[in-house]
Amino acid sequence: MLWASAQDDSGNNSTEYQKRVLESAEVDFLSSYYSQDGDNAAVSGGIGNEKLTDATGTIVVSIPLNKDDVLTIDAGISAYTSASSSNINPFDGRGQADPFVASSGASSSDVWGNFTGSYSHSSADRNNIWSAKASVAAEFDYFSIGLGGSYSWLFNEKNTELDLTGNVYLDTWNPIYPYELRPFGPGGRGINDPLFNVYPISGNQGYNPDFTEFDKRNRNSYALGLGLSQIFSKNAQGVLLVDLIRQEGLLSTPFQRVYFQDVPDSFIEGFQLADDIERLPNSRFKVAVGGRFNYYINASLVLRTYYRYYQDDWGVHSHTASIEVPVKLSDAFTIYPLYRYYDQTAADYFAPYETHLSTDPYYTSDYDLSKYQANQYGLGVRYTDIFTRLKIWEFGLKSIDLKFNAYERNTGLTSYIITTGLNFVMD
Amino acid sequence: MIGRILLGCVILLTVSSCVAVREYEKVNINDPDMVLSEMKCDRNITMFQAYREAAAGANGGKTGGGCGCN
Repeated sequence: MLWASAQDDSGNNSTEYQKRVLESAEVDFLSSYYSQDGDNAAVSGGIGNEKLTDATGTIVVSIPLNKDDVLTIDAGISAYTSASSSNINPFDGRGQADPFVASSGASSSDVWGNFTGSYSHSSADRNNIWSAKASVAAEFDYFSIGLGGSYSWLFNEKNTELDLTGNVYLDTWNPIYPYELRPFGPGGRGINDPLFNVYPISGNQGYNPDFTEFDKRNRNSYALGLGLSQIFSKNAQGVLLVDLIRQEGLLSTPFQRVYFQDVPDSFIEGFQLADDIERLPNSRFKVAVGGRFNYYINASLVLRTYYRYYQDDWGVHSHTASIEVPVKLSDAFTIYPLYRYYDQTAADYFAPYETHLSTDPYYTSDYDLSKYQANQYGLGVRYTDIFTRLKIWEFGLKSIDLKFNAYERNTGLTSYIITTGLNFVMD
Repeated sequence: MIGRILLGCVILLTVSSCVAVREYEKVNINDPDMVLSEMKCDRNITMFQAYREAAAGANGGKTGGGCGCN
């Protein structure tokens, strides 16, 4: 067997045993359940129910093609239900339209799918690693094609590693606009649309929004990443990460309403009719600088820390810091307590409900772009079986992960996510 | 004061980095919990953060694009 491993692919004998980059095929099953609640739905202009649930399942298969090359296939599907996106059309006739009540419309749920294939090649001395990847992702109103590549150079007796990555995403929207604005788009009947006969307008009855559809439907993202990893001692290592991201095209979300303070308010039932949709610049430049520092305290404790500073040309500045302390309870069980802090300043174009002026060039009431602080608390457990005694077909179960994370914003949004991960190794 | 502490950390890290750790000394460094990236099972956690937060990148996860998020 050793002799077989010592042969290279061309059939020549090698005098030195070379370890394969990946000894055998691995399969990961990842899943999560996410739930959030809050009262600042962007779909209804910064007020309204933003309850959302999402279930995601992903399979990642890594296959060693030979001793140097690995092919990875990554496929995932995500299904969500959302109270806020259900209110793209709040007039379902099943009750009073209200931003705090979910509608039963078609937009109340959707499915997102993703497929990524990547290939990596390591040099014989394992000091140079090249990889390339391609991806597609789709949901009802969105389609994305991604291409990427990376190069890693290890030197200083593999104590130092330099990574360069590049990714391009070419995305296309199928814009969906708030239901009451559609009659004011191209070919629409305006206030004579049957909607306004079936549902009489209250408040300002001269509803006549100055609405135009987006002329661009594409969103292109270009990301360049740099990573510098360093082993400091037998117990400590760290990495410095820099990402530069440029985005162009339709960066607004077409179904997110905005209400102006200088426009009279119109209502159908309890739902205020949109004055416009969010309008954001068609370019954005982001810079993120982060670092990780991990310290092996002893056989039972590891310290994992992370910090990131972020800023972009929309006026957002952000700090992220996290600390995780894996505690090995035994050879089989490890627990993972985590705390993460996040804050950000508001984007220049953000203002709450009924605060923007109709003369503003850009506007949004999406609280994801507001000023806030968030705290995240997590606890996880991992079961590891290095002997992979539990077999399913030709695969042995190597580890099981289960994590729970709770997230709280000081704007009122709360959420939690439960994640699981199963890692199988082919015998 | 903070500046001096940071300067000290930089000097400490620089000096430490001059010491090459041999392959056979990397037992602790190679512990699975010492990995310098997010863990596989944390991927969906990073994904929800990318949707809910304006900041992205420098974490090995999404940087923008490829989804309806920022």
